[in-house]
Amino acid sequence: MNRLLLIAALAIAYVGVPLLFDGNAYVLGLIVAALTIAGVAVAWALLGNLGGMVSFGHAAFFGVGSYTSAVLAMKLGVPVFAAMLLGGVGAAVSSIAMLPALRLRGPYFALAILAYAHIFQILATEMTPVTGGAGGLLSIPRFPKILGFDFGEKLGGYLIVLTIVVLAALAYDAIRRSTWGLALKAMHDTEVATRVVGVPSTHLKAAMLVLSAFLTGLVGAFNAHFISFLDPHYAFSSGWTVLPIAAAIFGGYRTVWGPVVGALAIYLVDQLLFKPILPHGHQMILGVLLCAMILFSPGGLMPALRRRPVKESRHAHA
Amino acid sequence: MTRTLANFVTISALALSVTLGAGAAQAKDFLLGSELPLTGSLARVGQGMHEGISVAIEMANRSYAGKHSFKVQTIDDETSPAKGVAAVEKLAGDGVVAITGGYGSNIIGPASEAAQKAGLVYITSGGVSPELTQRGYPTFFRINNTDGYALAMIGLLQEMGAKKVSIVYLNKDATSSLAKQVNSALTAKGVTVGMHEFDGSTSDFKPLMNKVKLQDRPDAIAMVGYENDYVGILRAAKVLKPQVKAVVGVWSLATAQMAKEFPDLMENVYGTSMLPYPVEFTQPEAVEFAATYKKLFNKDPDYLGQFGYVQTRLLIDAVVRADEAGTLAKGGLPDELRKTDANTLIGRVTFDKNGDNLNFTHRMGQHQGGKVVLVWPQDAANGKMNFPAVPW
Amino acid sequence: MFELTLQALFSGLLAGGYYATVAVGLALVFGTMRVINLAHGELVLLAAYVAYAAETSYGVNPVMAIPVALVIVGSASAIVYALLSRIRQDREINSLILTFGLGIILTNAILSIWKADIHSTSDPWFQDSMVVADTLFAMNAEVASFVGGLVLMAGVWWWLNHSWQGRAVRALSSNRAAATLMGVNPRKIEILSFLIAALLATFAGFAIYTGKTVFPALGHVLTVKAFIITVLAGMGSIPGVLIGAVMIGVIESLTVTYLSASLQELAGMILFLVVLFVSPSGLFGGGRALAR
Repeated sequence: MNRLLLIAALAIAYVGVPLLFDGNAYVLGLIVAALTIAGVAVAWALLGNLGGMVSFGHAAFFGVGSYTSAVLAMKLGVPVFAAMLLGGVGAAVSSIAMLPALRLRGPYFALAILAYAHIFQILATEMTPVTGGAGGLLSIPRFPKILGFDFGEKLGGYLIVLTIVVLAALAYDAIRRSTWGLALKAMHDTEVATRVVGVPSTHLKAAMLVLSAFLTGLVGAFNAHFISFLDPHYAFSSGWTVLPIAAAIFGGYRTVWGPVVGALAIYLVDQLLFKPILPHGHQMILGVLLCAMILFSPGGLMPALRRRPVKESRHAHA
Repeated sequence: MTRTLANFVTISALALSVTLGAGAAQAKDFLLGSELPLTGSLARVGQGMHEGISVAIEMANRSYAGKHSFKVQTIDDETSPAKGVAAVEKLAGDGVVAITGGYGSNIIGPASEAAQKAGLVYITSGGVSPELTQRGYPTFFRINNTDGYALAMIGLLQEMGAKKVSIVYLNKDATSSLAKQVNSALTAKGVTVGMHEFDGSTSDFKPLMNKVKLQDRPDAIAMVGYENDYVGILRAAKVLKPQVKAVVGVWSLATAQMAKEFPDLMENVYGTSMLPYPVEFTQPEAVEFAATYKKLFNKDPDYLGQFGYVQTRLLIDAVVRADEAGTLAKGGLPDELRKTDANTLIGRVTFDKNGDNLNFTHRMGQHQGGKVVLVWPQDAANGKMNFPAVPW
Repeated sequence: MFELTLQALFSGLLAGGYYATVAVGLALVFGTMRVINLAHGELVLLAAYVAYAAETSYGVNPVMAIPVALVIVGSASAIVYALLSRIRQDREINSLILTFGLGIILTNAILSIWKADIHSTSDPWFQDSMVVADTLFAMNAEVASFVGGLVLMAGVWWWLNHSWQGRAVRALSSNRAAATLMGVNPRKIEILSFLIAALLATFAGFAIYTGKTVFPALGHVLTVKAFIITVLAGMGSIPGVLIGAVMIGVIESLTVTYLSASLQELAGMILFLVVLFVSPSGLFGGGRALAR
């Protein structure tokens, strides 16, 4: 993405949005929720594009990250920011249990991860002494005050999740452009050939899985401290798998910032525009939009937005 | 003389306009907020509660006609905690005076916390879990709790003289805490209890029921779950025919809806119920409630509507009292609501310092020939229980 | 003890029958078009609700309503196919999202028409119990669904192996280019497999309506279950789907009986993972599940 555009967008995000919406808890809350989805969407797209593996169970990492962070903060008194990072680590560790699934192809891998998500959810429900069981955890510690700025408030939460998403996207971009990114791309075309050349393909794929899990777990941990509540049904809800996928596809999952744009678009338009107009039918609109997007612009929103300038320049040259 | 007359007229005119102006200033429109699951897995209960709230608004507008008017703004929380919080924040931003609604302790927790932050009263009948009233929020109120349900179930089982009970319960929060409460109370009275937890995805209860039939051999089966669980359990029991004397459930069971949809399955089954069916209201408020419900929604009120109505009515009365005392705008609503001591459709309601209604004791009804007859406690009963009796 | 095990096995067998009828339609489409129809569960649900509407609004025995449901579900299935065939690039993932979107539309349509209450048949025959040898218990509905499902699946299996169209379906899924060269019209065969899937979905919907309870959110649950069983069985194997479904049903049932009912779902998932790791292309699959 154009450097200038990126810097401008970041400026708006870090300065403009707080100025505009600081008083409006409702809209800020929605933006935070949209960015939470965006974070998972970026992690999912990273696994899909760089790792070549489509996953249907990212809710597993989200939930494990949420619970790890919440339990550490509540039962062991770990400071919240540290707990959040450890939540990401916890999710990454849980992905190691999924390494055997790496040798599965396409839908088989996707479903295996889904099975893991279900298993983790049931474990969270049954391990009551640790996780609070079906009732979950109430009043999870919020983010603390640092240097006078209360990160536990809506604005603080916004800045934290924004930073996470931006860092995730930058990391994704950096890997893509690096030699590792080149190796991963080559692996997609033919894994056997790349192995012959000496690329440790299984290690690379595993690294991508662990990274994707870490990012998703980090976002999940953030969410736990932001909402201050967790239960197995919420933490491992299929929404955390499905909405990021829809967002990534909608925004253009082959691009780095597409998932972020897609998440903001889907979530905000749904909650701010459609829900007040059609309190009972607005979810259907989401379905219609998704279908329309797939049929008319499968690359997603970003390529669709970029298409027009290219067409005009072609005409000009002709 | 003309001057005195002119003065008199002027002063009268002034006095009249001041009175009228003051009167007009006192006739207020109050906007209430409501955050409920209208879509998602709890859509059914959210809709039921919404109906009760609407009836309360309609009846309040009638009884305060000319003095005050009431409206409610309802936002769907889509059975999601995050969207529940967003809904409360939106309502707060729109300037509602208080919030009524909420279902599911997992959504009510975060949503009421958001209400507390916005300084808005949050009153509900859908959050029975004990933790909700232990957070020290002065704005949180609820008219029912797990204890009330447990007491009803325990009381009925005791009256039956059951010595062995099998409790089959869903592994969600509200259901398992209720089951555990009943378990400890019964065990303390010397009853042998077998506990069987099941997962929400269970659709075939025969293996579970077989365990109960062959291993536990209880006098009574207690079930704690939701409608689809009850249907599954009863169907399995009808097939396996365990030798028990009674089948007792909790919420969503002794309802007109269940009697109509699954008549052969429900016969002689017990569940919690505030009112008998067909509803035989005698009290004037209750009669008006049933009539308004019928007019607005063309059906008989169910327990969700009853609770939704009571909580909203109490809230409205407190709002009016606070307004008349001049404390409404200064955050005096929680204190005013805490002064409530009313006799309602669900019995006496008062709120303790945690916002809990400790008077709440549910009643047990039994499906008898397509009707629901209240059988426990004795002073609320309008019929005798068929015992021992089961649907097979 | 012995009685408990027998009943558990019997219940598991019947439960497997239900799972299989839901899964076979998905498996067929997956085998032919390599497309996972995430709206399949909603099609099953649609059939169930047609049965409900027939029974309550018209007082008709659910079985009588099957032809009507076939038309409705068949049309819906054809529409899904028409939309799917318009996808040009990245077929696998795009068809996933498309069918997912269609599933959302269907679920919400069902929710707005029929509301969120749970429903099931009130016809007493379906609910009566059948007792075998004094120890095995089942509802009539369950046994009828099992037998009917078995007949239907046997019919589909026979059709796949012995009729021209059926063999064309298998040829297409095995090697699309070669099959087309041999005179198989891919579009006709694909739409045929979608219609057969609709037939199976209709039957499954009626089976669920008569034996269990239906509610709008069930569609998604059914799709996931069907998907898991399809992958468990392996690509292109109808008997495999039945066996896989029965395996899951029995494991769940035994877990409920001997461990705890709350671990039911866990058992099925673990079984699924174990099979997948031991035999990555499923129990009876064609060995194409491993990454190249």
